[in-house]
Amino acid sequence: MADIISALNMIMVPVNLLGLVMGVLVGIAFGCMPGLSVNMGLALLFPLAFTFHGIGGILMLLGIYCGAIYGGSISAILLKTPGTPASVATTLDGYPMATKLRQPGRALGLSTMASTFGGVFSTICLILLAPQLAKVALQFSKPEYFALAIFGLSIITSVSSGSVVKGIMGGLIGLFLATVGIDAMTGTIRFTLDTTYLLGGVSFIPILIGVFAFAQVLGSIEEYYHNERSEQHMVIDRLLPSLADVKRVFTTLLRSSFIGTFIGCVPGTGGDIASFVSYDQAKRWSKHGSNFGNGEPEGICASEAGNNAVSGGAFIPVLTLGIPGDGATAIMMGALMVQGLQPGPLLFVEKAPDVYAIFIGLLLANLIMGIMGFSLIRLFTKVVNVPVHILLPIIVMMTFVGTYSYNNSLNDVYLMVASGFLGYFLNKLGFSMSAIIIGIILGGMAEQNFVGSLIMSDGNFNIFYTRPLCLFFLVAAVLSLLSPVLGKLFKKA
Amino acid sequence: MMNNMTICNYIVGVVGMVLGALIMSAAAAFPMQFTENGPGPGFWPFSLGCALAVAALVLLAFTFMKRADLAQQKVNLTTTANKRVYIMMGLVVLFCVFINLLGFYPAAALLIIATMKLMDYHDKKGIILTTVLTLAFIYLVFGVLLHTKMPQSIFLS
Repeated sequence: MADIISALNMIMVPVNLLGLVMGVLVGIAFGCMPGLSVNMGLALLFPLAFTFHGIGGILMLLGIYCGAIYGGSISAILLKTPGTPASVATTLDGYPMATKLRQPGRALGLSTMASTFGGVFSTICLILLAPQLAKVALQFSKPEYFALAIFGLSIITSVSSGSVVKGIMGGLIGLFLATVGIDAMTGTIRFTLDTTYLLGGVSFIPILIGVFAFAQVLGSIEEYYHNERSEQHMVIDRLLPSLADVKRVFTTLLRSSFIGTFIGCVPGTGGDIASFVSYDQAKRWSKHGSNFGNGEPEGICASEAGNNAVSGGAFIPVLTLGIPGDGATAIMMGALMVQGLQPGPLLFVEKAPDVYAIFIGLLLANLIMGIMGFSLIRLFTKVVNVPVHILLPIIVMMTFVGTYSYNNSLNDVYLMVASGFLGYFLNKLGFSMSAIIIGIILGGMAEQNFVGSLIMSDGNFNIFYTRPLCLFFLVAAVLSLLSPVLGKLFKKA
Repeated sequence: MMNNMTICNYIVGVVGMVLGALIMSAAAAFPMQFTENGPGPGFWPFSLGCALAVAALVLLAFTFMKRADLAQQKVNLTTTANKRVYIMMGLVVLFCVFINLLGFYPAAALLIIATMKLMDYHDKKGIILTTVLTLAFIYLVFGVLLHTKMPQSIFLS
């Protein structure tokens, strides 16, 4: 109870609350502008988050995370252009309801309600399940942590949409980058090219902003010449869902929130998978199955409750085991680490008030998102129309200023630019940026626990397969790495 | 020319193998043998270099086996849109030079204007308004509120 009161004290500081509200606002704006992603929003505002003292910056990032997932539905409904991949399924019924049925307000209202419901539901699951899982994880020792890090790295196969081998190569490059600097176990200086800049290791933030924000801006400049962007000028009214609509979609909301939370818990999945699975199940179980695709309220709610429910679920492995499920949670995990909060079961023991602050912050972020969704939707529908030729120069500037302001270092800016250039070409060649970032984040954990395990066993590798939990995670990692091949074999069979 | 995924993968595979070999060679400069303190600091990066080289080899093998399919996947690197991206990259490099010569704000103003022109937007009012408002926002938030001292011109400092 004392921990919860401490957490509330942390959150109720006006600056922290303001950070949370601003985070949700900026997140929704990022989400609803096609071409800007959740990862980009998080990466761009990552340095700004650390100008807050204590948990404030994390709360702001939580706000961006939740807001951006929801924001994607606005352009999906109004423009048939999902702001984020998680909202692709929302276009299937959201756009027909807005255009064919001429009820854009109803579609946006249903999506706001479903997003809030899904987010709150999954946060409650997080609050209930995470401490229990953390208790189990407290039994872990170095070999288990090493196996967990390898399992975390194995999700690279899932986040690599193009080529799995390239994903693994990206992950290995990330792991190598994590070795630059002073070795934590022996104090040896490695791969610093005799520069003091690299003594503390490769700076994570410039690479993050470079590959997720700057590289994406370059990609957007390229796309700008291929795509004509449409504008919307619809009249938004009847935002609050009617009682009849609520009754009609309630079961779907519950089912989709459960599916989204469960999928969120599984590393390597994400909002896009959750929304499609939820949509598919809603269609299968609905009395109005034939109406799906023609503006069916259950279709909108299934997709939106499913993708927003991922937010709470995805934090379960991050907070309890220290495994990021996707690019966005990898960024969030990086933010926690920069703030001195090492994700894992010990976090629940050593920094319990911070963990509760994250729980309450996530809950509040979802509620604020709902309030903003209903009250400011007309503003957000205008944001959808901001021209790209104005938006991109501003984002370019923000990548520079954000990178520079973190350490007041021009070297960081040069590193960000180099990472952005490289990221642009790697994206074109089918590499996953998330894989590189996951490699950098889990690199330290993997190496230190690998070395620590071998010290425990006097250099005997048996330690990795004689401990049941360690073996379980290693087998799970191998299965996860082979999942694309196994999937094909199953399909053939 | 790198215009299909087969050629790109061959190049990526070779670069990956070279990179893996370089990592192994750099890691070999550190002790790798097991002591009471566990494996030496070179062991882990050496293993990563090996794994990268093997992964690159696997990529080359897969590409060779699926070369016909992969050749159908076009990789655009020389279209007009790509050329605009390269111009943008050039502008950013110039910005990095000008940031030292002119200081942050003048260099940023030039980059915003150049980017908008690059995107075929030529409305003077719109360009000036966007530039002034963006820089004013940066000055207020970062300069005034967060006390970030932006880089100054070498002629002033």
